[in-house]
Amino acid sequence: MPRSPAPRATTTKPSGPPIGLIGAVVAFVVAVIAVLVYLAVRGDGLEATGSADTLPSGGGLVVNPDAPDDAVQVHVYEDFQCPFCGLLERSAGEGLFAAADTGDIELTYTFMSFLDPVSDDQSSSRAANAALCANDAGVFADWHAAAFAAQPEEGIGYPDAALTGFAEQAGLAGEELDAFTTCVSEQTYAAYVTDMQEAANQAGVSGTPTVEINGERLDNDELTRLQADPSSLTEIVEANQ
Amino acid sequence: MRPRLLDLVGLLARLLLGGVLLVAGWLKITDLTGSVQSVVAYDLFPYAVSQLIGSTLPVLELALGLLLALGLFTRVSAALGAGLMLVFVAGIASAWARGRSIDCGCFGTGGFVQPDQTAYLPEILRDLGLAAAGGWLAARPHTLASLDSLLRRGRAP
Repeated sequence: MPRSPAPRATTTKPSGPPIGLIGAVVAFVVAVIAVLVYLAVRGDGLEATGSADTLPSGGGLVVNPDAPDDAVQVHVYEDFQCPFCGLLERSAGEGLFAAADTGDIELTYTFMSFLDPVSDDQSSSRAANAALCANDAGVFADWHAAAFAAQPEEGIGYPDAALTGFAEQAGLAGEELDAFTTCVSEQTYAAYVTDMQEAANQAGVSGTPTVEINGERLDNDELTRLQADPSSLTEIVEANQ
Repeated sequence: MRPRLLDLVGLLARLLLGGVLLVAGWLKITDLTGSVQSVVAYDLFPYAVSQLIGSTLPVLELALGLLLALGLFTRVSAALGAGLMLVFVAGIASAWARGRSIDCGCFGTGGFVQPDQTAYLPEILRDLGLAAAGGWLAARPHTLASLDSLLRRGRAP
């Protein structure tokens, strides 16, 4: 319905809304969207529950929670899709888990997922979730070793079948394997995986691999040595404890 | 130069700065985890502030990019865009000066790179060039094919 004609006397006024009003509306809409995005990213804090041996508040998975109190604290931050994490694990992984077994160190892993976008299927998050499923099944160490031994080139990702295959390699079968497969396909620990990423960022970790020994971060040279020479582990742990 | 040619230069400056902002904003807003982490990697702010910047910066970039592409509020958008580029230059220079080995994260996930793979100087020069495009538009916002001209034309007298 056309409106009744406006009085002629207003012809000197511009037609349409004033430019200032348009500008204010644009600025308001942008501000509202920014606030919404911020609130979505901020989420609901670090409240999610992880698998059997995870620390609260996205603090990561403890490989050997029964370690003695005086064990050296070793905290590894990695993303299952990060090539240098693969180098590190294939070099120093065995030594780390052996030292955890003897109780020389208490080994903690935080699985980050910032490399999700390099694959089509959020492989970093899905592999991190599967690692926690493996913890519940009691085969984390073997699952983790199998995953990094077969790490695909960056961007190819881990299909669910591969994540389940590592569990079979780790010795799961029957009902245990079924439970693991369900945990993987339902992404049971997705919220905790998000919390691990956020907790790592809060701790200032913005790249992987990052290794902390008693809270001190290894420098680039030490990481490079660990990635190239498995025997450097003992010396580096001693030097930093 | 004739005004029409200067208007064309303005259009190109608008599309350049606006286009880069749109691409940068889009790559970040589709990967907000990476965007937040890229800000964390600068090690300049407490986490809560990095999170605020990492999540709202992409929205700001997209908005300024869209306004510049359309030529709406060209002077203000270009001035803000140029200011943003200068802030980025300061951030990159600070990372460089502190000897951090990071990617600027300008187009999505940044974070650590090998020390021999940093590209601080090209990143700074690129952002200075974009700031110059914004400065040109702030000084001379009249451009070809802009909503600003349409808005003005629709008004009496």
